[in-house]
Amino acid sequence: MTLFHYIHKDTVLHRMDGRLKLASLLLFSLAAGFASDLPDYLAPLSVLICSVLLAKLPFTVLLKEMRFFGVIILIVIVVNAFTFPGDPILKSPFASISRQGVIAGLRFAGRLSIVLLVSTVITGTTPLTRFRDAIEWYLRPVPFVPEARVATMINLTFLLIPVLLDSFKEIRNAQNSRCGQLRKNPVKRMKYLVFPLLGQTLRRADEIVNAMEARCYSEVRTKATFKCKKTDWFLLAISFAVFLFVLL
Amino acid sequence: MPVLEIQDLTHVFPDGAVAIAEINLKVNAGEFLVIAGPNGSGKTVLALHLNGLLRPTRGKVLLDGEPIDKNIIAARKKVGLVFQDPDNQIVGQTVAEDVAFGPENLNFPPAQVGMIVKESLAAVDLSQFATRSPHALSGGEKRKLAIAGILAMKPKIIVFDEPFTGLDYPGVVQVLKEILRLHKTGHTILLITHELEKVLAHADRLVIMHKGRLVADGKPESVIYRAESYGVRMPLKDGEKVSALTWLK
Repeated sequence: MTLFHYIHKDTVLHRMDGRLKLASLLLFSLAAGFASDLPDYLAPLSVLICSVLLAKLPFTVLLKEMRFFGVIILIVIVVNAFTFPGDPILKSPFASISRQGVIAGLRFAGRLSIVLLVSTVITGTTPLTRFRDAIEWYLRPVPFVPEARVATMINLTFLLIPVLLDSFKEIRNAQNSRCGQLRKNPVKRMKYLVFPLLGQTLRRADEIVNAMEARCYSEVRTKATFKCKKTDWFLLAISFAVFLFVLL
Repeated sequence: MPVLEIQDLTHVFPDGAVAIAEINLKVNAGEFLVIAGPNGSGKTVLALHLNGLLRPTRGKVLLDGEPIDKNIIAARKKVGLVFQDPDNQIVGQTVAEDVAFGPENLNFPPAQVGMIVKESLAAVDLSQFATRSPHALSGGEKRKLAIAGILAMKPKIIVFDEPFTGLDYPGVVQVLKEILRLHKTGHTILLITHELEKVLAHADRLVIMHKGRLVADGKPESVIYRAESYGVRMPLKDGEKVSALTWLK
């Protein structure tokens, strides 16, 4: 799985300051929200496609792994086209397709594509710890928020997700090898999956806590150092320009 | 003076189960000690007391003559604990980040953290994997990464809890070589295992635990013959000597 995973390369985007990258993520997400006309979608999409290429991310592999989202987009377009009231493009005795419905569906597709692409670029070029450091930096001035704890929690959550998915698969396979799939009652099936997974997760969490304590875990830790280069500001300026283009 | 001394150590769980009882043990600097025992004999509970992860119900643990609860952070720096399952020890997204976890907790300046990470990875021969995800490593490499994470704390004593569990032959050899190298460089080694055939030839001393108690302690040549009566498989065949008990050629 490559989508939403960090892919180590030495490019301008990989080296970009995490704080500015987080700001760019926000700007592109806002641009997706404000977009209304075709150029509003094309501008961010073309910048993001260039970013994927600039970051040397495996474009075709990523596209293949986005198929699932393609299906969602298609469903939304079809549902909108058939249910949105407006001028009919195609009429039949059972249902009709409206022009406004198709446009609404395409708008949703455009927004989702922007969000998907910007998430792909950001996650593909940023190790999670740099994200964590950036979040910690942004949270520092917020009163009553223990920024180091929040950052550690985010880190551990993302770290544990693949491990939990593996455990889930293992438990399911073990049950299926004893014909667990023949159980028709979904509640019972879930019970046999969820309880062992919960038990395993709690045990694992306990062991991780021990391992972290053994290495002197503390919230007063070495602070991350950030370096903003001119190119980083230039990349942020491009993001800002795209946002302004969409907004105005 | 022993580097580590355990006096009358007892741990009773809240449900009343006695995990370990009246353990007395002295470990000298530079010693290689193997602690063997069947499952549930209290080996891991004992290990968790050595750097204060568990607090005793009775008794105490002394490090260089000082009780460890006097300065728990100093104790955790001095006693490194390599856990049985490296997946539960690894908390970094990349190999280098995981090694940096300990020094960052100690609030070292970033440049010093970077230097320690480099040294620790080089020590276990993992420098080329610095930017890789730890979960992409093999079993033996993960164990080596766990060791690097501990080395970054500059410990004097390293406790290995079942370091060979789940490893194939090359993995065991890789980890065993690493342990011997650490012993050679002056670290005191405490190795918990029931797989004596893989390592005992290199140990100075063998301790056997049974039902939470320390039941045998001495030179491997003299203690080994009592192993089977306490639920540890006798690894020696007829005519074989303890020096044959290694997976290194």
